[in-house]
Amino acid sequence: MLLVPCPNCGPRNSADLRYGGESHARPDPATATPQQWRGYLYLRDNPAGWLRETWYCRSGCRRWFTLERNTATNEFRTPPMPGDKRGGKA
Amino acid sequence: MTMSRLGPQPTEVLDRSTKLRFRWNGKRFDGFEGDTIASALAAAGEHVFSRSMKYHRPRGILTADYWDPNLMVQVGDDPNVRAGNRLLEAGMDVRAQNVWPSLHRDIKAANSLFGRFLTAGFYYKTFMRPAWLWPTYERVLATFAPGGKIDLDTPHRYHDKRYTHPDVVVAGAGPAGIEAALAAAAAGARVLLVEHEHAVGGHLRYSSSDSDQAVLAELRAALDASEVEVLTNSTVTGRYEDNWLGIVQRNHPIAVERLIKARAKVLVAAPGLIERPYVFSGNDRPGVITSGAARRLINLWGVKPGERAVVFTANSEGDAAAADLDRVGVEIAAIIDGREGKRVSSAQGSSRALGAVVAGGNRIEADLLVVAAGWTAPTSLLNMAGDRPVHDPATARFFPSDPPGNVLATGGLAGDGTLDELRAHGAATGRLAAQRAAAVAHRLQAMTARARPVDGDEPAWAPDERTPLGRDPHPELYRSDTHGMVDFSEDVGSKDLVAAAHEGYDSVELAKRYTTSTMGPSQGKLETVNTVAAIAEARGETIAQVGTTVWRPPYAPLTLGALAGRVFEPVRVSSIHPWHEANGVSTIIAGQWMRPDHYGDPAAEVRNVRTNVGLIDVTPLGKLDLRGPDIPKLLNLLYTNKWSKLPVGKVRYGMMCAEDGVVLDDGVTGRLGEDHYLMTTTSSGAGGVWEWVENWLQTERPDWKVHVTPVTTAYVSINVAGPKARELVGRVTEGVDLSPDAFPYMEVRLATVAGVDGCFMWRIGFTGELSFEIHAPSGHGLHVWEALMDAGQDLGVGPFGLEGQRIMRLEKGHFIVGQDTDGLTLGPSTGLSPLIKLDKDDFAGMPELAWAADRSLPMIVAIQPDDPNVVPDEASQIVRGNTNEILGRITSARMSPTLGRSICLGQVEPELAAGGTKVTVLLTSGERVSATVMDHHAHFDPAGERLRG
Amino acid sequence: MTGIGRRLRRRPPKYSAAALAWRGMRGDYWPRVWRDTELKSSYDAVVVGGGVHGLATAYYLARNHGITNVAVVDKAYLGSGASGRNTAIVRANYLTPEGVAFYDRSLQLYNSMALDLNINVMMSERGHLTLAHNDSSLRTMNWRAEVNKLQGVNSSVIGPDEIKKIAPALDTSSHPRYPILGALYHPPGGIVRHDAVVWGYARAADYMGVEMHQKTEVLDILCEGGNGPDGKGPGGKVVGVRTNRGDISTPVVVNCTAGWAGLISAMAGVRLPITTHPLQAAVTEPVKVFLPTVVVSGSLHVYISQTDRGELVFGAAVDPVATYSIRGSLEFTEELAGHVLELMPGISRMRLLRQWSGLCDMTPDYSPVMGFTPVDGFLVDVGWGTYGFKAAPVSGEQMAEAVATGRTPKLIAPFALSRFDSGELVGEKGAASVGH
Repeated sequence: MLLVPCPNCGPRNSADLRYGGESHARPDPATATPQQWRGYLYLRDNPAGWLRETWYCRSGCRRWFTLERNTATNEFRTPPMPGDKRGGKA
Repeated sequence: MTMSRLGPQPTEVLDRSTKLRFRWNGKRFDGFEGDTIASALAAAGEHVFSRSMKYHRPRGILTADYWDPNLMVQVGDDPNVRAGNRLLEAGMDVRAQNVWPSLHRDIKAANSLFGRFLTAGFYYKTFMRPAWLWPTYERVLATFAPGGKIDLDTPHRYHDKRYTHPDVVVAGAGPAGIEAALAAAAAGARVLLVEHEHAVGGHLRYSSSDSDQAVLAELRAALDASEVEVLTNSTVTGRYEDNWLGIVQRNHPIAVERLIKARAKVLVAAPGLIERPYVFSGNDRPGVITSGAARRLINLWGVKPGERAVVFTANSEGDAAAADLDRVGVEIAAIIDGREGKRVSSAQGSSRALGAVVAGGNRIEADLLVVAAGWTAPTSLLNMAGDRPVHDPATARFFPSDPPGNVLATGGLAGDGTLDELRAHGAATGRLAAQRAAAVAHRLQAMTARARPVDGDEPAWAPDERTPLGRDPHPELYRSDTHGMVDFSEDVGSKDLVAAAHEGYDSVELAKRYTTSTMGPSQGKLETVNTVAAIAEARGETIAQVGTTVWRPPYAPLTLGALAGRVFEPVRVSSIHPWHEANGVSTIIAGQWMRPDHYGDPAAEVRNVRTNVGLIDVTPLGKLDLRGPDIPKLLNLLYTNKWSKLPVGKVRYGMMCAEDGVVLDDGVTGRLGEDHYLMTTTSSGAGGVWEWVENWLQTERPDWKVHVTPVTTAYVSINVAGPKARELVGRVTEGVDLSPDAFPYMEVRLATVAGVDGCFMWRIGFTGELSFEIHAPSGHGLHVWEALMDAGQDLGVGPFGLEGQRIMRLEKGHFIVGQDTDGLTLGPSTGLSPLIKLDKDDFAGMPELAWAADRSLPMIVAIQPDDPNVVPDEASQIVRGNTNEILGRITSARMSPTLGRSICLGQVEPELAAGGTKVTVLLTSGERVSATVMDHHAHFDPAGERLRG
Repeated sequence: MTGIGRRLRRRPPKYSAAALAWRGMRGDYWPRVWRDTELKSSYDAVVVGGGVHGLATAYYLARNHGITNVAVVDKAYLGSGASGRNTAIVRANYLTPEGVAFYDRSLQLYNSMALDLNINVMMSERGHLTLAHNDSSLRTMNWRAEVNKLQGVNSSVIGPDEIKKIAPALDTSSHPRYPILGALYHPPGGIVRHDAVVWGYARAADYMGVEMHQKTEVLDILCEGGNGPDGKGPGGKVVGVRTNRGDISTPVVVNCTAGWAGLISAMAGVRLPITTHPLQAAVTEPVKVFLPTVVVSGSLHVYISQTDRGELVFGAAVDPVATYSIRGSLEFTEELAGHVLELMPGISRMRLLRQWSGLCDMTPDYSPVMGFTPVDGFLVDVGWGTYGFKAAPVSGEQMAEAVATGRTPKLIAPFALSRFDSGELVGEKGAASVGH
């Protein structure tokens, strides 16, 4: 089972979290064309490599956060934790 | 061959003072405490234990351990028991599997006569004509399914799993594994040592050398004195992501099998080596055994494996086996030395016993052939860690190539050497494992530094400076000059593999799939290398060029019972549930909840609500407590309608859509105070909506000040509905003026109900009646419910369940998200377009809903069959006339006790959505009936006078 | 390659009991099931992916349309991907009319496959039970049954007593956490030997001249005229394929991959609505046959069948986390075992023998993406989620027609890539997250 580095709770079994998928910017709903909006809804980069994605620590801190993971190896690249010099080593 | 019990051996594991009586195929046998099923039977002279899968050839002991493919037996209701591993118990009922009618007279053995036609994959090439006969052929083929029998009455004797977080897990307690465990523990690591066999020691256990036994005693004593936790008869079955390990413990005192889950910081793989059979004609005949089997039989269980033996040896283990045989009085007819290029060509004899061995053109009478032809490296755990083992022809086995840094190999997997060298390598591996585990531990702690700061800098990642083990040369011995069996459990011979390669199935994966070699219960432990070798030979390539199969978990099979453990899926009930149970409730499971469906007569419950007053327990209703100044903005963003001007004390209905415009959830939200709201969701949507709200707040609008607390189970929710609801609620409520003017429809009040403070109640109307929904602190839920029941006796109060509520909401035409809507139902299809405010700046799904407003969409409409007595089944299709063209479907249907006629909601194509349209409903019986689309969703009281009363 | 000839042949020897006996007597090897040839520099069409979809497409191109100058390329061996990793269940009891029509045609092709391809694919029409544990799934079963009946597909909803008769191992009492309230019974559903389908299509296509190239990895798709870099992207057209064995010029490339569909499409500048997830499966040790039908439970995310070899084959829902890594997980087997024992408590002593996983390309509406793309000559047959094997024959047939005629056949029109531009998705998502 994948060990997910929650920025608040530390490493947690992936079963403790909800996977939120590829993180992608929401277009401005006022100006988005159908193509842009449906690109946001449906199209994904789905790379075999580093991916920015969201997770929800549903059994812990209940925070949504973004991580980078290599989808080919499932290795996480943890961004440094804000205000925390010790973060980011994993 | 005749096996028999020897006198006591110095290394044996038997307690000869304890006799165990058991049954084998109905006959009584005796063994000793410490025997495996197989050793007890062998000692009693049994030499046929099973019949092979395809040809039903008699099979005897091959390896005499867990992996022996010929020793699968049925023990009581337990199929496929490894008789080479399972310890004998008194009273066991052991039976041979895959035999008919009996082990010794098996009619399907006639298959071997047709062996040349039953080549690998023969079934792909035949049984095609006549096509109508194939089902019959299939049934016959299915009778060849090997294995034991399932008794469907076997209880699921499950037991809890265990979780552990050791620093180092050592898989395999041979001398190297034990040393690794000891060294890691000495360096301060928490160590779990897992041994597949019944005792630690690996090959030392069945060595008759005094010095080996002395080392074993020393290692055991050291383990006893250490902090290392030792599990025997347990196997690390899989290495999963981030060193998550599955371990099956087969000797738990209570559990049939226990699954242990370990998050190891470092895994040491020290499984030793598995002895590989040699391929030659007759190599599966009873009486042909591996050198390890010979030594185990003699030294562990005091079983003399035969009277006159030929030993084919290419290594020191084979030499040791020959010495053991000689020592216990087995006549050594010949020693054929594989290192000198000599080969065994065939094993001959009757169908059930060895008679002679042919080697180098000579025929040697013998009842036992002991083979020591080399090793298979069980690289399984390394494979699962992503390593691709490499074949070394000089040693005739695979070696690890580049496993990740938190998986280390030692022992036979890593190389060869003297016992001292192996121990030293093990110890060095243990030290390295402990160092690396400390680094991992430090890093894990650093990741939770907010909770508990970590001391010091992270230890450096220790480099691997172990002195590598050597590699003893070993002749490449896979197949002799004859063909023989490769996969004993699947009955696949070398001939089959060569034929498959010639036919084009010439990569290892294709050949494996085509012939099924390595696919059976052995899972490649004995046959992988010989399989690859046969293909390589056919292709004229090396084993390294052909490559090997991937070892997949589990390394050793484990029971479904162990994997399942205790199924932890509790059912939730409200605190009122005891009352429901005491009052004849009929429950229904809805998601995680067990809810009252009805109390005997749902129609009567409906009539009572419509004429008197009823109570329903709606606790599962999702409830989110919202606090903060930005709640109106949040509600505007999540709901399709407007929320900026909702005054304190008011509640409003809202519909949520996803970003693709599909209806997500609905419910009412009330403003309890200036910055305090209560949001309700559907019961099934409670969890999802909560995450949805958090997602918006945390990722899209992190600057908004709203705090969300789920309070679904903090409150019980009781809906009091019916014309006498005000009267009833008034009798138990303090501090609230319930009069229609003071507390009108769609408002909320804080109240004390039945003496319970902190309740709040709102006036809404899912049932279409005057109703007060009371949310009371959960601990007082039962009290409030009972107080309402007591207070309303004279009013005719009674409970009603989900079914009654569903009938009444259908009478009122309220749709249910997920029942009347589906995964593609866009907001406007619900008929609630007026609630979709496209002039807001933004809300979830707004662009799609804006575009949808211009499209003609399927619509949810109320429908009444023209025959009032016809209640279509839900999901009945609406079709065009007598054609099969689908124009919609009935999503909800009930007989209305109030109207005395059938009523429905349905989804229809836009062309049918106008009131008064006649539609054709195809009943599930096949009958087509006429129905009419109604003007309003509400079949009853469309003006809503009752609920506003 | 040495040792085994590379001989070309005109006509493959027919498989039959008599031929088997004859060769058995003589001890002859059967000739190669498909040839092993050099890669040519030009083909009329290149099919990427040597699984059931790619091979079926090539086969029908040759058989139905006479287009035989076709190469099927695969980076590993034929059937190495999802074709050999699925649980081999076939059925036509879908939810939407377009889905039912499509899969019904597939089932027809499966039923005649043994004779069409002259290989016994062991189509076992053993019936398929989809269990309902609550009233909402029972309603969905009814919905599927009604749509099926209207399309002439044999499906009906049956109650616990009848279920018990069909599959006595199931616990139909009212005690379980997930009581069995009813089931959608689909007698024509069953299982097929998946590898035999791969080999059968390859052998038959080979006979008609199609070339199968294993260990041939597509590195790039060569385009010109498109609005993206290197002439890729909308408005452009395909001119060739770059492989690890050299460049091929071709006007048509059909992407029949699973797991790598997005990566291959990106090579032509086409973006897909796909995320890639592993789907895990497992098999037990064999026991004597006791489960005569396929059993599926959507609520419990499990499907079960017993092979003629006696093994129980289990599958589940796709893993929630998108990844290209196909290492199995322990929690999959734990959850699976728990759910299986919920349905069949009597088999707790059966042992799990092996687990594996394959990659599934999931689309937002649980329906495939088929047909033409904004790049001329680049066609896709992708996004199969967990349904690919069932659809292989009909997909091949329809994709071949699309290639040969240049028009989208009616059966696959609902699955066009353009539906994600217009927002008109297919309604299969409503059926269940586990659809086997």
